[in-house]
Amino acid sequence: MTGPTLTTRVAKQLRVVRASLPPARGLLPLILLLGIWQLVQSGPSPYFPAPSQWWTATGNLLNREHLVAAFGATTLTFLKGLALAIVFGTLLGVLIGVSKLAARALDPVLEFMRAIPPPVTVPVAALLIGYNGIMKLTVIVLAALWPILLNTTSAVRQIDPLLIDVARSFRLSTTERIRRIILPAVVPALLIGIRIAIPLAIVITLLVEMLTSLPGVGAIMIRSQRNFQSSEVYALLVLVGLFGFVVNDLFAVIEGVIMRRWPPRR
Amino acid sequence: MRELERLLARINWLGLGTIALAFALWEISLRAGFAQYQNLPTPSAIAIGLVEIMSNGQLLADTSHTLLSVLVGWLAAVAIGVVLGLMLGASPMLRRYSLASIEVLRPMPGIAFAPVALLLFGFSLQMELMVIILPALWPVLIATMGAVMGVHARLFEVGRTFRLSRGEILRKIMLPAALPGVLVGARLSMTLALVLAVVAEMVGNPAGLGYAVVREQQAMRPELVFAYVAAIGALGMILNAALTGAVNLLFPAASGRLREVGA
Repeated sequence: MTGPTLTTRVAKQLRVVRASLPPARGLLPLILLLGIWQLVQSGPSPYFPAPSQWWTATGNLLNREHLVAAFGATTLTFLKGLALAIVFGTLLGVLIGVSKLAARALDPVLEFMRAIPPPVTVPVAALLIGYNGIMKLTVIVLAALWPILLNTTSAVRQIDPLLIDVARSFRLSTTERIRRIILPAVVPALLIGIRIAIPLAIVITLLVEMLTSLPGVGAIMIRSQRNFQSSEVYALLVLVGLFGFVVNDLFAVIEGVIMRRWPPRR
Repeated sequence: MRELERLLARINWLGLGTIALAFALWEISLRAGFAQYQNLPTPSAIAIGLVEIMSNGQLLADTSHTLLSVLVGWLAAVAIGVVLGLMLGASPMLRRYSLASIEVLRPMPGIAFAPVALLLFGFSLQMELMVIILPALWPVLIATMGAVMGVHARLFEVGRTFRLSRGEILRKIMLPAALPGVLVGARLSMTLALVLAVVAEMVGNPAGLGYAVVREQQAMRPELVFAYVAAIGALGMILNAALTGAVNLLFPAASGRLREVGA
């Protein structure tokens, strides 16, 4: 590839995302809240432990629960599930978008599947598959699949038939056709689908870990709560919140880099 | 007669046929022993299970609990979201000094509140409502704020020229302009509220449809697990259809915008 290298493009995109973030003084209410909390309640408490206690609790969690490894396991499960959902969602989405027959045949099934809140698939998968890694992935894929599939389908449907005719008259090969017509039309919609799927996938990953005690952050969250370790519960809330924030922003960077390659068509 | 014909023509026979075929294959392959899944019930067993929970009143009790917490949580989230969204949309000053806090809190996975809510409220309805409201208010807040910010500045000038009071500006200019955005946000937040209610019932409050699914799974009644899942899916579809219908009825002008956004 010519032009700027990937690293400089990512760096540039990082700057763009940073510039799009609201000014940092907007953090003031949050900092104020934590400060007042610390002043009013400076010691341990079963309900509202002081923020300084959260900090010590994080240290405990790092030693006792191997928090870093747990975050690693959760991240890996989340990424694997998301990747599978992207693959299946795109393939099915293109199929349904291209074929009117498939769309009509599958529409009621998909409508119903989409209406089922993803969390309830966890007990069903536990029944059918048992408690293991495959069950974890199945459930995450089932949750993250729909937004990706639906966005891909509608993008494929909106491809101008004229473009396809043009490709035919230019005798483009199949790979050329995919590269020049299908991909530019699908990629922006696919990215929107993934953006919607990410929070869902995070929630379901944590939920599976909570319900099944498979190793991960979710299991630690529920364990801390059951042991009434209130400062650990708050510490985990902050850490999981940061996790969500970082994942979202990282995806914004990736999205920007890809969007520049395939700008959305008007 | 015409109406009936049009209705019949609108039905997706191919789609319904696909469902029927899938169910038939599922039933036959299990009965004939082609497929062996320890805990996979046949569709007929699920149907019998559905009749069972309907006739003994379980389904009604569980559904009404979930429906109540979804509606209460959703209404609270919409109310809080609209008020905060209007304030933030109208005041650049307020935005400058709080938007970053919101951007930090917003991507927080909703389920992360469940352990804190359990700590504070134990296994109770309050716990469930906290898990629903906190994540479900963001879509409404953001959509309302965006809609108010999108109101043309000239409209406010017109309001001032006509010497409208602050209350009148709010009622006659800001609210009507914000309405489509509010509705889009409210719809997203309704879907979210159902998901979170089920999550809260699964890990916390032992009541409602979410708990019922876990309960029947632990009781090793797969046919009831599937029956409850079907019921939850139906509830989701009904809630969505009811909201769309209500929007079309109450705010016909805004419904076109809603469809356009594809919410």
